[in-house]
Amino acid sequence: MARLIRTEKEVEGNFEEIWLVVEEDPLEQWPAGPLDVVGRPAVRKDALERVRGEARYTADIRLPGMLHAAVLRSPYAHARVKTIDLAPALELPGVRAAIGPGDAPGLEAEAGYAGAAVAAVAAETFGQARAALEAIRVDWEELEVVVDPEQAVERGLVHGEPERYERGDFDRAVAEADVVVEGTYRTQVVLHNSMETHQSVCEWVGDRLDVYTSTQYVWGVRSEVAGELGMPADKVRVVCEYMGGGFGSKNSAGEYTFAAAALSRATGRPVRCALTRREENVAAGNRNATIQRLTAAARSDGTIVALGGEFVNALGWGGWSASTEGPLKMLYACDNVRTTRHTAKINTPPMKAFRAPGFVEGTFGLECIIDELAAKLDVDPLELRRKNYASSNDGTPFSSKNLTQCYELAQKHWDRRHDVRARSDATWKRGVGMASQIWYGGGGPPSYAWTRVGSDGRITVVTAMQDIGTGTRTAMAQIAAEELGVPLDRVEVTLGDTARGPYATLSAGSSTTPSIGPAVRAAAADARRQIIEIAAQRYDLEERVLEIRDARIVSADGNLSVALEEFLEILGSAQILGKGARGPNPTGMSVLTFGVHVVEAAVDVETGEVRVERVAAIHDVGRIVNPLGAESQVEGGIIQGIGHTLSEQRLLDEETGRVLTTSLDAYRMPTIADVPEIVCEFVDEPDAHLTNLGSKGLGEPPIVPIAAAIANAIRDATGADVHELPVTREEMLRALREAAKKERRGSPAAV
Amino acid sequence: MKLVVNGQEHVVDAPVGTSLASVLRERIGLTGTKIACNEGHCGACTVMIDGVPVLSCITLAHTVEGDVTTIEGLRDHPLVNAFVQADAVQCGFCTPGQVVSAAALVAANPEPSEEDIRHAMAGNICRCGTYPKIEEAILHWRD
Amino acid sequence: MDLLQPSSLEDVDGGLVVHGGTEVVPLLRDGILHADTLVDVRNVVPRGISGGVIGAGTTLAELEVEPQIPAALREACRLAASPQLRNMSSLGGNLLQSTRCWYWRLKYPCRLHGGDRCHAAEGEHREHAIFGNDFCASAHPSDVAAALLALDARLRTSRRELAVADLYRLPDEGNRRTTTLEPGELILEVELPQVESSAYLKAMDRKRWSFPQVGVAVARTGGGTRIALAGVAPVPWLLAGPEELDRATPLERTAWKVDVARALAGRALAQLP
Repeated sequence: MARLIRTEKEVEGNFEEIWLVVEEDPLEQWPAGPLDVVGRPAVRKDALERVRGEARYTADIRLPGMLHAAVLRSPYAHARVKTIDLAPALELPGVRAAIGPGDAPGLEAEAGYAGAAVAAVAAETFGQARAALEAIRVDWEELEVVVDPEQAVERGLVHGEPERYERGDFDRAVAEADVVVEGTYRTQVVLHNSMETHQSVCEWVGDRLDVYTSTQYVWGVRSEVAGELGMPADKVRVVCEYMGGGFGSKNSAGEYTFAAAALSRATGRPVRCALTRREENVAAGNRNATIQRLTAAARSDGTIVALGGEFVNALGWGGWSASTEGPLKMLYACDNVRTTRHTAKINTPPMKAFRAPGFVEGTFGLECIIDELAAKLDVDPLELRRKNYASSNDGTPFSSKNLTQCYELAQKHWDRRHDVRARSDATWKRGVGMASQIWYGGGGPPSYAWTRVGSDGRITVVTAMQDIGTGTRTAMAQIAAEELGVPLDRVEVTLGDTARGPYATLSAGSSTTPSIGPAVRAAAADARRQIIEIAAQRYDLEERVLEIRDARIVSADGNLSVALEEFLEILGSAQILGKGARGPNPTGMSVLTFGVHVVEAAVDVETGEVRVERVAAIHDVGRIVNPLGAESQVEGGIIQGIGHTLSEQRLLDEETGRVLTTSLDAYRMPTIADVPEIVCEFVDEPDAHLTNLGSKGLGEPPIVPIAAAIANAIRDATGADVHELPVTREEMLRALREAAKKERRGSPAAV
Repeated sequence: MKLVVNGQEHVVDAPVGTSLASVLRERIGLTGTKIACNEGHCGACTVMIDGVPVLSCITLAHTVEGDVTTIEGLRDHPLVNAFVQADAVQCGFCTPGQVVSAAALVAANPEPSEEDIRHAMAGNICRCGTYPKIEEAILHWRD
Repeated sequence: MDLLQPSSLEDVDGGLVVHGGTEVVPLLRDGILHADTLVDVRNVVPRGISGGVIGAGTTLAELEVEPQIPAALREACRLAASPQLRNMSSLGGNLLQSTRCWYWRLKYPCRLHGGDRCHAAEGEHREHAIFGNDFCASAHPSDVAAALLALDARLRTSRRELAVADLYRLPDEGNRRTTTLEPGELILEVELPQVESSAYLKAMDRKRWSFPQVGVAVARTGGGTRIALAGVAPVPWLLAGPEELDRATPLERTAWKVDVARALAGRALAQLP
């Protein structure tokens, strides 16, 4: 039955209170541990077509008569278009249409950053469209440029008022503490660099608009496009069957979609608008830089009594301000907490969500200062974390929290540190560091799924979700197979098309499996119920004695055992249709994910080279649906995090505000040669309060603690405090010099 | 211009300066070869010319003299199954290029060590970080 | 644009020369190079190794597995660029590659492009030069060039013979070029003198597929030891000795490269028997 509730909805750590129509979720959870299909490693349903190059991405869509668009972008970090003349572009060969500021959402007369979209041209080839951009005459009025976030905050150039939070009496707790540690931490801007750039192909069919787009949220694009163009939403169809990575940057429609739609309308032909790699690294979003001034105070017995942080999120011209203070507020039991978060509005490219936005940055600062506190207290860092374990979220109970088990599993990795240190020599110093992780990932309603069972006993799950490469297609098939008692190869999943299936939520915020998985299970259960009902009639048995097991309908007494496909022959062309919805999240509870990483790192103290040699990752994300895919997620998060920690940084020219690292020789992501040994473990305990599945999301947790764990391993190895990401050779050598200076002054290096 | 791709000859009309990647994708319709950076930095567009992996996005189509092998020509290669079984694919956009580089590696060195793999595959960037699984797939490519 | 594929040197006359294309093709697309005619010289430039002479058309991939050549060159090839780029790029072309300076690549009107200022010196220069950087702070990206400089290799071009050291020149007000190669002149062969031992060490920010932050090549002959650096000056840099690093002129954010170069130079020298 449908029910109306008032609830808090969380996406990427952002909360809003909303009215929500939900359906009851009457299914009991499955028992913990591996089942027949769920909880067992499964090869991806779509692996073969992706590996063979047959999967059709947006980049591969070729519609008859398709034109190619190019986007004119501001060369200035802050400027206004006084006049613009598109006419010369229209006269060039192959050019079919040109649009300027105001002609499509995202094309604007005021450019707040170098690279902001201003105009767009459609031509027969991309080369012709690009060439035509040069012919567009723009008279710019240059405006004042501010790129320094602290200066921006001082001058009131901000996105909104500062976010303030306080519990207890922070000042008093600091004054009364035995040990106080303060530090300033800085994180850099990093770029998503999905392998498939942001792109859309738009085609008008009568009064309907078809949008093929590389997105994490087909329904979000649908409502955004319909809203901006003033159309009924069901006149917009959004398709994304395969997409080449998003990491948070593809949650919305983007100027390329609107430009393609407008140019398609103007020309009556399909139009592709695809960002180049260099545009991608300017205008497709980024993880914003942060500055974090942190305080940690403790009693000499190791009880943390106060945590404080002054944060600046250097957001750029747009985006949203993520909760950099989140981990500091939630990870430890601490009565006295005070945080302030300023959000600078500067003339740099806009932020977009990037894999655990805010928490990746905030965990670096927090988990570094916790280790510095441990050093000053002369307490084992793992012991300090255990001692200050938070058993509730400031009074609100956790729906489930197994961080203690994570710490127990981590112990054997942590115990290696004496051996690791002993492998140091004159130049290579080795050490072990750890960091904990806290993040959301509980998902929420609404999301829906249908199941379709044919007379051949095969099942199709239909839901208009998307698989962004995380393997959710496979996880959904596993859930349906488990519920219906059939092997995985009996199940197909149809997704990625708003015209073909019910609403499903976005693939972001580690929410796909916990949001859509329960709906899929409910839809499968609905089909199963109907099959049993029919079987009961056919064989004149009571429903309660029948079940589907190993793709057979069996009775409790064993007298009936018939293959599903044999029984379902009676359907002929008829189908059994199941439907399911995601039920509500538990009320009055915090749904969070937890974990810990233990990193072994080596530092060449002469050249500043840092090598991550081993990472042990232990995560508590509820029930694991596909251990193989889950392991891939963890490895991927760790590797991306190693890039964030050691080699990736977007650099700007301060004078012009232009991005300098637009190509992949300058913006350096890890290669296969940079991968450490990775050990991946899960607590794998279903969250008893969360849905019929008990699963939380795993896309983001593994990237959260990696930077701090590496920094802490560096400190363990060398005594040097790195306070800035990335830990380049320059930063590493600076930290080593600093540590040597402290040592000469007679205090232990790590304090 | 004449091109031999996966054993088939194609006659293509394109201006000088057109990249091999563009010819493969736009003229011949072989979209398994992906373009991700289009300037020679990421490896997504890797194809073989006479068995040697090259970057088709910065190869001028008119200068190609040897036989071109793309992912479409490697669809039945044992590596494909090895990648599938090892879960060496996430978003999959870099994967065809990975398979091409790997196919050249195992042709030259059927039992590559981890170090061999890391050296030979370092030009194929995977943003999802499937590298451990790619390494595993190549180590066990004949199993 | 036209494409010529001459089969003899005499037929090479004007046009923009392209071999592997790994540098020329992207620079053409970016509008940094311009051409009406491309000249594919792969049938003209010798390829392969014969004694101490290497055809300039030999690829880096061929050289990285070549046991006959000195360790410094082999290692410089092995650690250069990416596998696909090593398959494509020729030895001669590698010597002629341009800087990775982002200002130059993004067409800022810098001195190397004929302008009147070095944007890097005043701007973002953490990956730039520590020597020869008062006019232009760019860093030369060729591992191979540093190796050949340490090995004191000689080049035979279509017009002359010269030491590798003489291929390069620091840009100045009157001439912004970083090589002495004349228009239409092709590098044909590289001749390696006998060396007793050599080594190449490279600092990168990832373990593979990175241009040198600092590359150090050392080579020992009966006559002495030569040290050459990559990534530290607008041209490959011959170091009189490790003590010359004390006289480096780092920019505000490149001083770290001096430390790295000092450490690597010490290690490379220690590797020589």
